[in-house]
Amino acid sequence: MVAIAVVAAVIASLVAVLIRWLPESASEEMDRITFVFWFATIISIGIFALVAAVIIEAVWAFRVQPDDDTDGPPIHGNTKLEIAWTIVPAILVISIGVVSAVVLSKNANAGSDPLEVKVFAQQFAWKFEYPGKVQTEELVMPLHRSVKFEMQSADVIHSLWIPQMGQKQDVVPGITTKIVITPTRTGNFTLICTELCGLGHATMRAPVRVLDQAAFKRWLDDQRAAGAGAAAGAGAAAGGGAAAGGQSGGGAAAAGDAALGKTTFASAGCGGCHTFKPAGTDAQVGPDLDNLVADAKKAGEPEDQYIEQSIVDPEAVIVSGYQPGVMPTTFGKTLSPAELSGLVAFLSGKEAN
Amino acid sequence: MTSTLDQHSQQDLQHGHPAPRRRGIFMRPGYLRALWVTPLFFLIGMYIVVAIRALAGWDPVYDWEYIVLIAGMVTAPIGFLLGIGAFDYWLYWISGRPTLVDDHANHGAYSWKDYFKVNTDHKVIGIQYLVTTFFFFTVGGFLAMLFRAELAQPGMQFFDTQTFNGLVSAHATLMIFVFIIPAFAGLANFALPLMIGAPDMAFPRLNALSFWMLPVAGTLFLASFLAPGGAFATGWTSYAPLASEQPFGQVFFNMGVQWAGASSIATALNFLVTIITMRAPGMTFWRMPLLVWANFTTSLLVVIATPFIAGSQFFVMFDRVMHTSFFTPDNGGYVLGYQHIFWFYSHPAVYIMVLPGFGIISEIISVFSRKPIFGYRLMAVSLIGILVLAFSVWAHHMFVAGMADWLRIPMMISTLLIAVPTGIKVFSWLATLWEGKIHLNTPMLFALGFISTFVIGGLSGVYLAAVPIDIHASDTYFIVAHIHYVLFGGSVFTIFAGLYYWFPKMTGRMYDERLGKLHFWTTFVAFNVTFFPMHWVGLDGMPRRVADYAGTYGALNMVISIASFVLGASVVVFAYNMITSWVRGPIAGSNPWRAMTIEWQVSSPPPVFNFDEIPQVVGGPYEYGVPGARHAVLKGGALQEAHT
Repeated sequence: MVAIAVVAAVIASLVAVLIRWLPESASEEMDRITFVFWFATIISIGIFALVAAVIIEAVWAFRVQPDDDTDGPPIHGNTKLEIAWTIVPAILVISIGVVSAVVLSKNANAGSDPLEVKVFAQQFAWKFEYPGKVQTEELVMPLHRSVKFEMQSADVIHSLWIPQMGQKQDVVPGITTKIVITPTRTGNFTLICTELCGLGHATMRAPVRVLDQAAFKRWLDDQRAAGAGAAAGAGAAAGGGAAAGGQSGGGAAAAGDAALGKTTFASAGCGGCHTFKPAGTDAQVGPDLDNLVADAKKAGEPEDQYIEQSIVDPEAVIVSGYQPGVMPTTFGKTLSPAELSGLVAFLSGKEAN
Repeated sequence: MTSTLDQHSQQDLQHGHPAPRRRGIFMRPGYLRALWVTPLFFLIGMYIVVAIRALAGWDPVYDWEYIVLIAGMVTAPIGFLLGIGAFDYWLYWISGRPTLVDDHANHGAYSWKDYFKVNTDHKVIGIQYLVTTFFFFTVGGFLAMLFRAELAQPGMQFFDTQTFNGLVSAHATLMIFVFIIPAFAGLANFALPLMIGAPDMAFPRLNALSFWMLPVAGTLFLASFLAPGGAFATGWTSYAPLASEQPFGQVFFNMGVQWAGASSIATALNFLVTIITMRAPGMTFWRMPLLVWANFTTSLLVVIATPFIAGSQFFVMFDRVMHTSFFTPDNGGYVLGYQHIFWFYSHPAVYIMVLPGFGIISEIISVFSRKPIFGYRLMAVSLIGILVLAFSVWAHHMFVAGMADWLRIPMMISTLLIAVPTGIKVFSWLATLWEGKIHLNTPMLFALGFISTFVIGGLSGVYLAAVPIDIHASDTYFIVAHIHYVLFGGSVFTIFAGLYYWFPKMTGRMYDERLGKLHFWTTFVAFNVTFFPMHWVGLDGMPRRVADYAGTYGALNMVISIASFVLGASVVVFAYNMITSWVRGPIAGSNPWRAMTIEWQVSSPPPVFNFDEIPQVVGGPYEYGVPGARHAVLKGGALQEAHT
């Protein structure tokens, strides 16, 4: 039995070592998670090897001949053994618990000088706000500096996860949730939503870049400069729902700024579900927006009015072949008037560039 | 309760009571009556809604969402149950018409047709449960193969995302609510009263009603595919506030769970009263077979926990149809409240879905090792330990949900500690095998397969209990792998084991051993190839519940999909074996396994009223190898010496 146990342990260890179970770590938090993972793995290999060895040995050694009708020895128990297999597993799991508790408190600690980033999630897009009201659709993080995220959702529950960085946290409407990530290597990553949030859930992603601290500072300064000049109207778009609607829209013309519309198309996540050639998207969840002219005619409405109505009140007209109740009905609240009119301009083909 | 067959005899049945007037074919309980009562009740429900809307001046008067909800999901099912006769006895009693307490007109199966009627015999109900739940198992498995076809390659091939989400949600819902939970209720329904030496369950009519609520639940889940906007698509967890904003199909889930839950609660109460009050003389708690112990603890879990999921689904639905704000962030609702209430049921539900399996495995391991179960008392006590701990671990599903931070550590510790009683059970089974006389029949193979896969599922559970790992692995395919190792490698393997084990008792015939072994090995291999790689893709970064995924996971997903089709094909072997053996398998004796528990001391299939005379229990249930030991003494029965 010992031999079988050793073989089982070796096989299990090879499976544990040869397969790269966890992605290559890119954060201090993931380093610690990886440590807990291996701590639990060593204990698991021991238990697995023991169980496998007993089953294999028992089947091997105690299998009866077809005509053997006798009974086994009437052993009813063994108190010492039963106490042992109560106490030993208890000690093992408690040790995993202690290690986990220590790691958990370290992973929640943002240190003395964290970068604070606000995260706004909505169906089906992410938005990030850096100090100085700099808003981006891409998450950029400085190397070796803890980033403390404060997250809000405009509609349903989402969840933020960058696999190489380990940490994960739901973004819940009505409350602000927090998470800390300290990147340890530069590179490009992907942030994915891991809480089923509706139709476009699988496509609710955002690009992530980690830059060294000097490059990060340059990037942030550039963003600040660009933000001060251009996007008076691009203000807290997805921000806190209705609150965002009020504080923006200063610079946008009544006719609608197609350039703003183009950025809104990307930031509001329209491309997650709709094909629209000018924006370069090809998703097929909702109607193809290249056919808007024809669809508006079918509905018997002027094109601009049809587009605006379809964004604000998507249930009003359902394009044939599609189903009601699919498109979020919250865009009337989350988009500012300027963004809305910009979107209408962009979608109706009043070219942006 | 201790009445004998003499008292039940036909002669006595009619004694002193005038024979009831024979009623017309459309008035007799049955499908023909259901055929007109169900639409009638639909119309009643519909015009209650219409009348209220007309009186209140709401527009439109004919609002089909409310009509389908009230008439289709509440009154029409009641009409169906009324039509087939599930309420007849009680309504007769209420209306003062003559009733017979010991009315056995609908008791026992004398032809195959009796299995399609309301029947009060626990053995008939048990088989009704099993056939019905395996129908839903097949449908649920078919849905799984549909979305595995979509997932075989990255990108979108066959379905749009809403349909995909609907398939995933309906698969889980069917498997949990109308397969695993009621399949265990079916096995226990058949075996448990026999095992404790009782003539039937404590409340046979309630037992019948419990069963007949099940097709209603399953039909509602499946009917959601016909709803505008498609089936409910928020996963079986159906988190608010997404669930209160989704298309109408979601309401089918909310209401289907009510019917399944009501069925489950009624059955659990029935088991509790049966076990507490109807044990044969001499059957002390410490002489009960472990299957009875397992169903005792499971039933306690059900009656305590199930009302919570009923509440959570009602509240989500009220948020939609009555514009309340239980779980919506505006108007002061508490979004995380849904998850707390939902998991306060749904974590214990995991034990509802596995403790009866523990009981089945204990029976099988002991019989096919020809040894007493090792550490019987600790086995029973560890069930109680799991029962208590099960209510203190629910928030481990919420480590990333944004709940109060301090809750994480205590929930982690209690979750880790639940590994201790579970470990006790595994080690006791292993010690029972040791030095035994091991017979590798199909039930035993499934039992050994269960132990190996369940240990892997238990160990991945320890990973998930550790908060830092859970934060990384939560909502990924690692979770999908874990729950399938626990619920398929755990629960479903034990259901298969139990079915093969009691098949000769239920049908009087023996299944085909070669086909049984073929079924086991295809299931075991395909199961592991399907679900083991999911640990890997999950940890590496593939989230669950996505129709489309990063191209790097394409190759493994193809392997997983192919294995899942093999897994689906293995069920065909099983179904063929069950059906042909039931029709023309070799006749099995009353006790083909030479087991000591009482159900094997009566004929196969057992007599309609189980025992000529209630047995006298004189010893423990697993005294294999003890010279001259007996578990029970039956008068006039074909009792066999246990040690032969």
